[in-house]
Amino acid sequence: MTATLPQAPARPARPSRRKGTQILVTGALVVAALYFLAPVYWVVVASTKSTEDLFATNGFAFAANFNLWNNLAQVLSYDGGIFVRWFLNSVLYAGVGALLATYIAAAGGYALAKYKFKGSNLVFGIILGGVLVPGTATALPLFLLFSQMGLANTYWSVLLPSLVSPFGLFLCRIYAQATVDPALIEAARLDGAGEIRIFHTVGLRVLTPALVTVFLFQLVGVWNNYFLPLVMLSDTKLYPITLGLNNWLSQVNRLPEFYQLTTGGVLLSIIPLAIAMVVLQRFWRGGLTEGSVK
Amino acid sequence: MSTTKPLKRRALPQAGQARSSEAPRKSRAQDRAPWLLLAPFLALFLLTFILPIVVAVFSSFTKVTRSGLFGEAGISSNFAGFSNYAQALADGNFVASIGRMLVFGAVQVPLMIALSTVLALLLESASARWPGFFRAAFFLPYGVPGVIATILWSFLYVPGLSPLYDFAELFGLSPDFLGPKTVLWSIANIVTWSYTGYNMLIIIAQLKAIPGEVYEAAKMDGASPLRVAFSIQLPLIQPALVLTTIFSIIGTLQLFAEPQVLQSVSPAIDSQFTPNLSAYTTAFAYNDYNVAAAQAVLIALVAFTLSFAFLAFTNRKTK
Amino acid sequence: MPPLTRRQMLQAGLGTAALGLLSGCATPGTSNINAAPTIAPAGGKKITLTYWSWLKDLQVVADIWNAANPNVQVKTVWIPGGNQGGYPKLYSALAAGGGPDLAHVEFGVIPSFMMVNGLVDLTRYGAADHSGRYDPTLWNQVSYSGGIYGIPQDSGPMATYYQPNVLAKVGATAPTTWDEWAGVAAELRKANTYMDCFPLAEAGFFTALAAQAGARWFRAEEDGWVINMTDDATMKVARFFDAAIDKDLVQTQYGTYSPGWFASAADGGIASATSASWGDALIEGVSGGAGKWRVAKMPVWDSSGFGSGYLGGSTVSVLANSKHPREALEFAVWLTSSREGIDAEIKNCGIGWSPSPDFIGTTRQQPSDFFSGQNYNEEVFAPAALEQNTDWSWWPSQQQSFNILSDGFRQKASGTTLVDSVASAEEKIIQVFKNSGLSIRKEQA
Repeated sequence: MTATLPQAPARPARPSRRKGTQILVTGALVVAALYFLAPVYWVVVASTKSTEDLFATNGFAFAANFNLWNNLAQVLSYDGGIFVRWFLNSVLYAGVGALLATYIAAAGGYALAKYKFKGSNLVFGIILGGVLVPGTATALPLFLLFSQMGLANTYWSVLLPSLVSPFGLFLCRIYAQATVDPALIEAARLDGAGEIRIFHTVGLRVLTPALVTVFLFQLVGVWNNYFLPLVMLSDTKLYPITLGLNNWLSQVNRLPEFYQLTTGGVLLSIIPLAIAMVVLQRFWRGGLTEGSVK
Repeated sequence: MSTTKPLKRRALPQAGQARSSEAPRKSRAQDRAPWLLLAPFLALFLLTFILPIVVAVFSSFTKVTRSGLFGEAGISSNFAGFSNYAQALADGNFVASIGRMLVFGAVQVPLMIALSTVLALLLESASARWPGFFRAAFFLPYGVPGVIATILWSFLYVPGLSPLYDFAELFGLSPDFLGPKTVLWSIANIVTWSYTGYNMLIIIAQLKAIPGEVYEAAKMDGASPLRVAFSIQLPLIQPALVLTTIFSIIGTLQLFAEPQVLQSVSPAIDSQFTPNLSAYTTAFAYNDYNVAAAQAVLIALVAFTLSFAFLAFTNRKTK
Repeated sequence: MPPLTRRQMLQAGLGTAALGLLSGCATPGTSNINAAPTIAPAGGKKITLTYWSWLKDLQVVADIWNAANPNVQVKTVWIPGGNQGGYPKLYSALAAGGGPDLAHVEFGVIPSFMMVNGLVDLTRYGAADHSGRYDPTLWNQVSYSGGIYGIPQDSGPMATYYQPNVLAKVGATAPTTWDEWAGVAAELRKANTYMDCFPLAEAGFFTALAAQAGARWFRAEEDGWVINMTDDATMKVARFFDAAIDKDLVQTQYGTYSPGWFASAADGGIASATSASWGDALIEGVSGGAGKWRVAKMPVWDSSGFGSGYLGGSTVSVLANSKHPREALEFAVWLTSSREGIDAEIKNCGIGWSPSPDFIGTTRQQPSDFFSGQNYNEEVFAPAALEQNTDWSWWPSQQQSFNILSDGFRQKASGTTLVDSVASAEEKIIQVFKNSGLSIRKEQA
């Protein structure tokens, strides 16, 4: 694949050659798409099979026996519907976490961009350092801290760290610097609005495109997080979907029927995020430009 | 507090009477506002970043002494100096895990960034058909959590279950995706699969920010698409490349879910395969939280060093 | 407690509270539950106990108890096998001040759980009264410093599973001593067959054989631990397998019960497996193996050793944060020593050898069709369970010690001997003890 790619743009863009270039470029993209979609296709196929067919038939071909609904019913009903609970937990951690994180980062970023105050550079520098701290390096000491506070193995232990997005604050600050017009703020002040109100009425509205990006960034980050909940949670009822599915996977060696639960669960867990990715990727694009241009 | 406020407010204008009477009132509110707005973030940042780092540093300098056979007769914590760090660095498996990640990063990160860049350039070239579909397809894996991506790929790595082995047999190959020599690159494949699309999107965003006039000028000069890519697009997307590379370096050092999940199908992955797995094992299997804290600090230091070294390197190159 | 702490934090200011936290006990597992007053029985109130275990279908067994004990309900939760993730889960739950009432803990790991103050000393709730129900060797392995820290749940007395037809190829039958074993293995190599595997990545097997040869790696003394991994018995076993591997008498490419092993065992490329009683269910998975296998006493070292060894085995332990240790103990004793409990655990969970010398389980009293009609449990394993090294006891940081040992063993391929690996492992383990603040000394020869 990598061998063919660099050749593609090498063709000169003369009109006569354009067709050939187009075929080559598109061909390369198709190969790449196969790579990115094959595992997803595999799980779609696998989740329609019974356990025996899973091992007896080719992984990329559907089996004669269509078992999808049966498998999904099992996924949703196993252990009193624990899968649904895991899913809702993930929605709570990622959805609520990302929403609040976005608001908090927006307030912070706006404050750092639109006010000159003593220590602002220091504060920003420290927060920027936070972007570079590996999240998993803080997870372990955070667990020690939270267990002292009695917060470990609670919803809070995963939710609280999800509310902080130094990268989000960084993006919001850049965006606010570039787009929030000081004249708008002055005008609101002359109207007698308080500073906090100005942030809510003027700041948040102008910041909206950046907020979408920060929200999505944090949503995916928390949804994908594994180390933090693994360290924090021991009660399966509090598990997000990542931890739950891995719990099922670790049982396949002794109980092969867990293959069905795991593949079905993986399929169900991919669907919402896949839709979100496809629909929202254009929003994503918009905000990150400002982030990376600096 | 509520009783002192009005007093102060009245006192202030008198003190600054020489200045305009409006200014002090405004600046007071404006002095307070940024801190109010920052307060929630700072409080949480303190709780989930600063305090853990303080805890990690503190406990990495602490040592537990036990009396009795199991510490049942008393446990005390003392200052340990650098002995936990010495212990972490004397642990061959931990040091090896960092070395393993450096090898991994040196190969996987450039490959992934190159692939992301090529895909971004192809998608943004006028020659690509259905760019919307491809962009979505490449980005889709980013929405699949690392654990679930690993579960997916592990199904494709396990002999007997995976159609890949049947494929390979057609070409007379008998790969072993989970052996001691190959499993690291099987993990690299999962990471590449997950993050290429994401990095590609960041690069595309930067490409779109290149003003149209630049392309027009190049066209006037009769530059080939390849020339445009190398002398216009690549230099102009450098900030995005730096950003994605740094995030990838940090991500490499954090590698945990992929090896941990693959462990159940690959005996070649030991309990200290990556630095993070090492710290996790030290904390929760060996119950040595202090050495684990030292390891966490070391991981963060390596991440910092690498990020800054890379930044310094790219800065020098641009000058 | 949580809301109070948080409010305090807000009042006192984050900084002060942080200092308070730090100067307090920042390291989890440093408060001793067994110094606190005992907890009174629930006294007729309805309670629910949780039991974390990696046994499958354990809830079915618990439900038998639940039906008879409406006030003490037991709920089981499946966790991954100990070192595959179960213990980290338990340790982190304990560190967070929670965790189940009961947990599945292997014999070897009990001291590690004691180190983090994770287990209830059951003598405080009358466990000593039940000692007569259990195999004394196992009871010794749950007894430390005058306390009882778990109730034996199952064990793994060792014997040799063998294929008579494969051994007959070289005119041999199951060897009775390890010297004989080496002779047969050498003959088998000429027929392109291996006698057995030797797992380089799993130190448990070597440890079990050293114990069989009479080793006693750790002793608890008044002034601390005494380690002796380089005694004659251990060195004898290490030398023996150094030679066996050098002469290519054992398969080291894969371990017993791995996919490669199953393939090889099915076509007669592996003649025997010296393994634990729980291996029977796995051997029955060898395709086309019915009627081809028998079980014999395992080979012995010499007069100084023992007839068998224990490989694996686990306990039901009561964890430190249990609110109802007395009831938890009652359930554990019922589960592991009543006929009802043992039979149900064998039937549903496929546990290892019964810890009760009086009852090996109803199904295990019958001859087996797979094993050529041999009544192997009563014939071989029941006596093997009585020929154990009763002095053997486990030590803190056993998992780390095993990892150190197997890290060394893996170097065998690049020329390091097992003898050297054991000696250097001993030094590293001494260091591990010192690092965790325990006192330890090397046995004076």
